Amino acid sequence: MEIKPVVASSSANFWQTYRKSKMGVVGLALLAAIIFVAVFAPWIAPYDPKSSEGISSNAIYNPPSAEHWFGTDDAGRDVFSSFVYGARVSLIVGFFASFISVVIGGTIGIVAGYYGGQVESALMRFTDTMLVIPDLPLIVVIVALTKPSLLNIIFVIGIFGWTTTARMVRSQTLAVKSRKFVLRARAIGAGRGHIIRRHILPLVMPILVVQAVLVVSVAVLNESTLSFLGLGDPTALSWGQMLNYAFSRGAMSTGAWWALFAPGLGIIWVVLGLTLLGQGLEQVLNPRLNTHHLVPGQPVVQKEAGETPKAETLLEVQNLSINYINEGKLPARAVENVSFTLKQGELIGLVGESGCGKTTLMLALLRLLPSAGQIVNGHVFFNGRDLTALSEEEINAVRWKDVSIVFQGAMNALNPVRTVGDQIAEAIIKHMPDTKHDQRLQNRVIELLELVGIAADHKDNYPHQYSGGMRQRAMIAMALACNPQIIIADEPTTALDVMIQAQILELLDSLRKKLGLAIIFVTHDLGVVAEMCDKVLVMYGGVTAEYADVDVIYNNPQHPYTQELLKAFPDLTKPKKKLSSIPGYPPRLEALPAGCRFAPRCPVAIARCHTEQPAIHKLADGHIVSCHLIEAAK
Amino acid sequence: MSKENFLEVQGLKKYFDVGRQSFFSRQSRSLHAVDGVDFVLQRSEVIALVGESGCGKSTLALLLMGLEDPSDGKVIFQGSDITHLNDVQRKDLRRKIQMVFQDPYESLNPTQTIEEIVTEPLLVHGMADTSDREERVKKAMEDSGLKPAEVYLKRFPHELSGGQRQRVVIAAALVLEPEIILADEPVSMLDVSIRAEIINLLAELRITRQIAVIFITHDLGSVGFFADRVAVMYLGRIVEIGTMLEVLEKPQHPYTKALISVIPVPNPRLRHERIILQGETPNPIDIPKGCRFHPRCPAALEMCNASDPPFVNLSKTHQAACLLLVK
Repeated sequence: MEIKPVVASSSANFWQTYRKSKMGVVGLALLAAIIFVAVFAPWIAPYDPKSSEGISSNAIYNPPSAEHWFGTDDAGRDVFSSFVYGARVSLIVGFFASFISVVIGGTIGIVAGYYGGQVESALMRFTDTMLVIPDLPLIVVIVALTKPSLLNIIFVIGIFGWTTTARMVRSQTLAVKSRKFVLRARAIGAGRGHIIRRHILPLVMPILVVQAVLVVSVAVLNESTLSFLGLGDPTALSWGQMLNYAFSRGAMSTGAWWALFAPGLGIIWVVLGLTLLGQGLEQVLNPRLNTHHLVPGQPVVQKEAGETPKAETLLEVQNLSINYINEGKLPARAVENVSFTLKQGELIGLVGESGCGKTTLMLALLRLLPSAGQIVNGHVFFNGRDLTALSEEEINAVRWKDVSIVFQGAMNALNPVRTVGDQIAEAIIKHMPDTKHDQRLQNRVIELLELVGIAADHKDNYPHQYSGGMRQRAMIAMALACNPQIIIADEPTTALDVMIQAQILELLDSLRKKLGLAIIFVTHDLGVVAEMCDKVLVMYGGVTAEYADVDVIYNNPQHPYTQELLKAFPDLTKPKKKLSSIPGYPPRLEALPAGCRFAPRCPVAIARCHTEQPAIHKLADGHIVSCHLIEAAK
Repeated sequence: MSKENFLEVQGLKKYFDVGRQSFFSRQSRSLHAVDGVDFVLQRSEVIALVGESGCGKSTLALLLMGLEDPSDGKVIFQGSDITHLNDVQRKDLRRKIQMVFQDPYESLNPTQTIEEIVTEPLLVHGMADTSDREERVKKAMEDSGLKPAEVYLKRFPHELSGGQRQRVVIAAALVLEPEIILADEPVSMLDVSIRAEIINLLAELRITRQIAVIFITHDLGSVGFFADRVAVMYLGRIVEIGTMLEVLEKPQHPYTKALISVIPVPNPRLRHERIILQGETPNPIDIPKGCRFHPRCPAALEMCNASDPPFVNLSKTHQAACLLLVK
C-alpha cells in the first residue's frame, strides 16, 4: 500500500493560512501591541496616575510636550499614563465579559441545537426575546441601580452579549449533528455528553473563537459608554472614564483635545484590531472563504498543425493535451495526448475512475475549462472546423447549438427558483432569439418535454417537484433544445437507482436512433458502457490506456488496466466469481509517476514501466493501447 | 428449541407521522417506511438487503441498530428481545452490533486522528483503561487492512483515500469485537477499482471473526459471491428472499426479475432485453392497495389490486410474495 508522508502539524498549518490574510496580521499586531502596553503598564507609564507625585497646579490641561506625550488632564496628571493604565481596565472588562457571554451563548446554542424539540424552541424563543430588548439602555438601567463596581459591569455586559453567539452556535450545531459521524458515534454507543464533547464542540469551536473576538470589541465599547455616562467604577480608570472626566471637566471648552484624543485612540485601536483579527480568523477557520490559487484566463497554445480530419467523422480529437497552471509549481498535466473520433449516430464511452481527466477532457472540447486550465496541444475538429482555433464568439456559437452537455447531478444544474419549462425556454432563446415572444417557443418546450417522456402539464413545475429521474430527463430536454449533433453526457446516471438509470439509458438510446445524435458517454460504470456504447476510450491518470470497439475492450482487452478493471467489476452472469481489486490508488496530478502512470498499480509492470512513458501503439484498425508490454510482444 | 436463530426480525414496522394532508382534514397521515419485515440471520451469515431508494432499507438499518424506535414488531438477538431497551442495555448491545456507513468522507470526524477514531468506541464503553488498549486498536486496524497500524495512527481522515477511510470505519467497528456488522452501502461512494477490496475484507472478517453481515445495497450486481442470502425490498417490505443463487439465477417475483434484468452486464455480447419498469417507486405515504407493486408490475392481473399477496414457499430457503405464484 502506498504510504503518504505525514503532513505538518495543524498549528503550523493554521499560521500558514492565517498569514495569507493581511488584515488579520495587522489586527493581530495592533492587538498584541495594546495587550503588551496593558500588561507592562507600570513599566511603560512614566507616572502613576493614582499618586499625586510630580503634579503642579500650573500643569492643568497642558498640551502634549516631551515631558507629557499626550498632555495633562484637569488635575494635571499625565494623560499618556492614564491611557496606559486605562488599557488594562478596558481590556479586562472586554475579555471577561466576552468570556461570560460566549460561555452562555455557546451552552444555549449547543443545547438547543443538539437536543431539538421543545428544549430548542423554548431556548430559541428566549434568545429571540433577549435579542429584541435594546440591551444598552437595559445595561445602563441595571448598572445605575446596582453598585457601579467593575465586577458588576463585567457581569451585566456579559449577560447581555450572548444572543448572536447562541444563534450562530445553534445553526452550526444543527449542521454538525446531521453529519454521519455523529450518527456513527451514536451507533458505537456514545451518549449525549460524549458526542457533544468529542464531536460537536471541536467543530463549533471555530465559531466560538471568532465570536469571542467580536464580542470583546462590543464589550469594550459598552464599558466605555457606561463609563462615559458616569456609570463606571470610579476606582478603576478606564478609557470611558477618561472621556467622562475630560468631558465633564471642561476639556472641550478649554480646547484640550488631547484629553479626549488619547482614550478615543485607545478604543478605536482595540476595536479595529479585534475586527481585523476576527476577519483573519474567519479566513482560516471557514474553509469556504479560502481562495484557491489558480491563474485566470489561458489561451490555447498550439505546437503543431493538425492532420486533416477524415471526411466522414463528425468529431475528431487529435492528441489533445490539457494542463492546469499551478502558481509557483510545474503545471499539472491533467490530460495528455488523447485522440478519438466520433461519427454521426455513434456512442462512445469514456471510462475512467475519479480524477482520471474525463471531465477535463469533455470541458476542453467546448473550451469550457476552469480558468487555470489550458489546452497546450492538439486539435478538436468538428465537421472539419478546428474548435481550438476559433475565437471566443465563434466557439460560443458552437456551444449548445452543435454540441451540448448533460451534467451529472441534475438538482444542482437546475435553478431551483425557476420552472423547468422556463429553463428549457431559456436554452432555446439563447440560440434562436427570434422565437422569444412567440407561441413557437412554448410549443417547442412542450415538444422537447414530450421527447424526453415528460407530460406537458409538468412544464410549469419547479425542479423540486420533479423526481430525480424526471430532473435528469429535463436536463436532457435542455441539451436537445437547439438540435445539437453531439451530446456529451457526463455521468448522467451516477446518482440514480438502477431502474431509473435503465430508463434514462433507454431514453438516450432512443434519442440517438430517432435524432441521429452522436453521444459521448462519460462514466465509471463498465456495465453501462457494455450495454450502450459502440466504442470505448479507457482513460487512466489523464492518458489513454486503451481505445477500441466495445467488443474488443470486453473480450480482448490488451492494457493491464482494462483487464484489471474488468476483474474488479461485478458480473451478474458469474455470481460466484470472486472480485479482485486493483491495489493502491489512482495517481494525483501533482505527483504523477515518472514512467507509465499505471505502473505503480500494474501487476505485470517491468522495470522500464517505472522510468519511461509508454508510446501509443496502434494494434488493429482503431485499437490503440499505450503499454510497454505491447511493444515487447510485437 | 433445537436451533436458536442468531438474529430474528418479526413484523418490524416503522411509520413516520407526516402531518395532515391539508389544514381541514382530520386524518393525520403517516409514511410507511418499513411495513412489516421478517427475516432471520445466522451466526457468520451474510444477508444482502437490496432495493431502490425509498424501499425502506436504510430505515430498517436504523431500526436494527436501535437508532430509531420501531412502531411495531420485534427484534430478537440470541434469544432475547432487543426491540425496546433502556439506555444501559442498549449501550451494552452496541458492542455486539456495529455499523459501517455509506460515505467514508462524512462518517469520520475531520478533527480526530485515526487513533482517536478507532480508540473512541473503547472509551465510550469504558474499556480504554485496560492495558491491552493499544493492542486492540492496532489489531482492529491491521485486521481492516491498515498495515502497519503505526503509519496511520497520527493521521487525519483527509490524509487518507476513500478506501482507506472506509477501512478506518471498519476498524472502529471491529475494535469492540462485534458479532454483527450492518453495512449500509459501504462501497457505493468508492471507485470501482477499490470496491472489491472492501467487499473482500468484509467477506474475510465473517470467516476469521465469525461476524454476521447485513449488507444493504441498491446494487444487486455487487452481492454475488459475497452474500449467502439475498432479500429484495420494495416499498417497506421484503418481496423475495432466498439464497444468493436462487434469487440471482431463478428470480420469481416480477420486481426481482425486472431489477435483475436492468443490471448492466459488463459484456457487450450478452446484451439482452431489459424489463424497464415505468415511473418510479410510489411515495410511501400512499401505499397502493392490494399488492403494493401491482401498479408498476408488467405481469399484474386484476386480482392483484384486491389482495395483499402472502409469502409463497418456493423452496426451503426461497420465498416470494406474489399472487401469481400461489397455486
